[in-house]
Amino acid sequence: MKKNTEKLFGLSAEEYDKICGLLGREPDDFELGIFSAMWSEHCSYKSSKVYLRTLPSGGGKVLIGPGENAGVVDFGDGDVLVFKMESHNHPSFIEPFQGSATGVGGIMRDIFTMGARPVANLNSLRFGSFSHPKTSYYLSEVARGIGFYGNCMGVPTVGGEVVFDECYNDNILVNAFTIGIAKKDSIFLSSKCETGNIVVYVGSATGMDGIHGATMASEEFDLKKNKRRSTVQVGDPFTEKLLLEACLEAMEKKLIVSIQDMGAAGLTSSSFEMADKSGKGMAIDLDAIPLRTSGMTPVEMMLSESQERMLLACENEKFGELKGIFDKWGLNCVKIGEVIGEKVIKFYYKSKIYKILDVGVIVNGPEYERPVKKPGYIEKMPELKTGDYKIPENLNDIAVKIATHPNIASKKPVFTQYDYTIGTGTVVPPGFSAAVLRVKGGAKGFLLDANGNSRLAYLDPYAGGLLAVVECARNITACGGFPVAITDCLNFASPEDPEIMWQFAEAVKGIKEAALKLNTPVISGNVSFYNETAKKDGDKTYISKIYPTPVIGMLGFIEDAGKAVTPFFKGEGGEIYILGRLNGGLGGSLYLDAAFGDFRKKPVGIDLEYLDYEVRLQNCLRVLINKGLVKSAVDISEGGIFTALAESAVTNPERNLGFDVRYDFSGLGIRADEFLFSEFSQAFIITFEKAFAGTKEINGILKEFDINLEKIGIVKKDGMKINDIIDLKSDKIKEGYFSAI
Amino acid sequence: MENKKIKAGITVFPGSNCDYDVYRVLNEIFGVRASFIWHKDEVKKLGGFDFIVIPGGFSYGDYLRSGALAARSPVMEYVKDYAERSGIVLGICNGFQILLEAGILDGVMLANISLKFECKDVYLKTLNFDSPFTCAIKKDCVLKLPIAHHDGNFFAADGTIDRLNKNGSIIFKYCDREGNITAGSNPNGSLYNIAGISNKTFNVAGLMPHPERSSEKILGSQDGGYVFKSIIKYIKEK
Repeated sequence: MKKNTEKLFGLSAEEYDKICGLLGREPDDFELGIFSAMWSEHCSYKSSKVYLRTLPSGGGKVLIGPGENAGVVDFGDGDVLVFKMESHNHPSFIEPFQGSATGVGGIMRDIFTMGARPVANLNSLRFGSFSHPKTSYYLSEVARGIGFYGNCMGVPTVGGEVVFDECYNDNILVNAFTIGIAKKDSIFLSSKCETGNIVVYVGSATGMDGIHGATMASEEFDLKKNKRRSTVQVGDPFTEKLLLEACLEAMEKKLIVSIQDMGAAGLTSSSFEMADKSGKGMAIDLDAIPLRTSGMTPVEMMLSESQERMLLACENEKFGELKGIFDKWGLNCVKIGEVIGEKVIKFYYKSKIYKILDVGVIVNGPEYERPVKKPGYIEKMPELKTGDYKIPENLNDIAVKIATHPNIASKKPVFTQYDYTIGTGTVVPPGFSAAVLRVKGGAKGFLLDANGNSRLAYLDPYAGGLLAVVECARNITACGGFPVAITDCLNFASPEDPEIMWQFAEAVKGIKEAALKLNTPVISGNVSFYNETAKKDGDKTYISKIYPTPVIGMLGFIEDAGKAVTPFFKGEGGEIYILGRLNGGLGGSLYLDAAFGDFRKKPVGIDLEYLDYEVRLQNCLRVLINKGLVKSAVDISEGGIFTALAESAVTNPERNLGFDVRYDFSGLGIRADEFLFSEFSQAFIITFEKAFAGTKEINGILKEFDINLEKIGIVKKDGMKINDIIDLKSDKIKEGYFSAI
Repeated sequence: MENKKIKAGITVFPGSNCDYDVYRVLNEIFGVRASFIWHKDEVKKLGGFDFIVIPGGFSYGDYLRSGALAARSPVMEYVKDYAERSGIVLGICNGFQILLEAGILDGVMLANISLKFECKDVYLKTLNFDSPFTCAIKKDCVLKLPIAHHDGNFFAADGTIDRLNKNGSIIFKYCDREGNITAGSNPNGSLYNIAGISNKTFNVAGLMPHPERSSEKILGSQDGGYVFKSIIKYIKEK
């Protein structure tokens, strides 16, 4: 075995020994490069596979689950929706503009590889604490990168989330989501290669960028992070726009048999995975690969992560027509090989056989069931005793602080950098609960949301995974949609740490249970481990790790997109109700963090009973909305009931509004601050079309689902009043809400 | 004359991305017969079109300067010739930038004063109600349309502005909801809040906001539709 593990590109000594055993000798540099990429955590999911298999991935409207470039659901009328979310955390931390741009470019390629035209993007972004000196740089560069790529592609970026927390000071997270639409009978897969097909390379030429990107993304950052810049790819959205049009045109003309994009590990993963999934092999002529620079070695060609490239299989006699299309769009289209029956990849270089590698050996990498251990901090997590906290004298000041906290405040300065109106499909723009898109030529539409709560996931990873699914579903339900399927992006620190692996296992369990109960299968997704960085503080080095951050992207359907409900109050005089139950608490809340600087207290229990109630609650609200009775609906989430009310008042785009709430919470046995700011309650704030409450129809619905509805106040022209505990001018919140970030 | 007898041509450059939105709105909402013109097409047939739209996007990636490369594309020679023969040409967003770069309209576009891409709804005040692009707009009506651009900060020398003003060629200005032309309602730093201009003979116009994204009720505004309705009305009455 090699002594120098520095040269193993992230492979462990045991993995290296296993490779030696499989080959019967030590690998050369070419083989080592291929193994290190394909066996990397990023490409092989070696630590997570055993858990991911437990997730529900089929049934319902699912046509294609995980395993292809993206998942596919049936949208009716011969249409399908194709979607996936993927992380680009490591590159974005090294170089935020290019990292985020190519993250967006990569996920869009995954979608149009399947034959779908991308119609919307979302992104879930996490930065260090808002006051950290580098946060504004990361925020502005990441937003610029996302806009740069998505806007040029002509795909609207319609929503997502932006979260600030000091746990991301040394590892930002950029999770990008794309959804596309296709016809059910023309979905393209990477598993359809036939012996005798030719292997065609299309798109940009191959350069020196992104080499070892996949292995870089499978390691923690050490103190030499800035030397990793060359592992980050450089994006060219203009070329990708051409590639999109050319691919869709070739697909429409049925010139493509099978296709996969060259993402992580570039030509290596695309060729080996296509061959493997098709049960075939390939002969590849490295001399034919279009290069940006002379003198690239075979291993550099194979590992380059240059963007805007695709590998496809085509029938030999159709190559001329295929090339004609790519010529029209000014793109490379080069025959680089052939699909063969033998399950090996034969590489030719300088007109001679260079290397023959067994497909199965490369693709079937290691799989681990890594040790898990419940972290000590969770074992020792103190119960929340409100008596330990003195109720702040001026709750108005705290209320302003929370409603204008960077995590609550409007993200308008970010999303106005994204073109969210292109495509003329966006019915509800970013900044509200879920994005609503219509489909032209009919009434139906779909809804999208991305969500995660890492503070909760840190305290209770199971609850964090579960609630991420539930919260997306709440946002979709509050608009009148019904949840259909999800994609997940699981961002964690090192899986080699048993405590992190325990967090991962728990989070996946939470996602699984919520997905089963809400009937939203997980059809695609991605795992990003090693989100941790070695830091130096004087002579001491330590590891800065992110909180476990499971993020969910959810798709919902709505029969009539024009009837989607928005969360804001519509006008003075509207009656405000609570639908559901106030069973939340302050453990893990933004309030504890903002008022006392420590959220680390046991959150309320989130279990299967919680899920049962949730399903009834959401079904109940959906029925009320579909009957046309509801004017506004929003769930109580981060920042508690006060924040839900305040946002409902200030986000009305046409007029200034306020509220007057009179609610006797003494029966709940809680204090004023608990009433105002408790999180994880299962309740929506709704206003009705007319004073419908108390009518037979409404009571019947409430009874059917066994859900409570209680009037708590009235919409006012100005002022935010709650009993005698809150009394604020609406402007005071509005100004801060729209200027905090 | 029925709308379906009106023929519209939509230029398509590599990187155009509002081409299909314009195509759909013209065909399906306004019932016009619109078709695409690929930038390399031999289009001596431009004469067969009743009007031409140069849609938004990132033509040629907007490398060099926004619209600069497209302005030198073969199809623009035909568009220039078409405009000189009084053909109606509307440039939207990148299309406006291309018309400026081609010298068909006067002035230049600078980067937005924020140096950022700006996507939002803006309000427009119409200053000339006689052009082919504005003749169906009701007087005193403030229009709501979305913008989505990085380089929409219109600039021209004083003499040019005077000439545009005297000629009535400044057709749209950014304003507030009530129609007041204020600094606060200017989304990109554009000189005198200019959002759209025409040439001397009013048959060519460019505007930064997107009428094709505001021609249907479900999208929150139908005001952009007035621009297309104006063109149709003008052609019918010609």
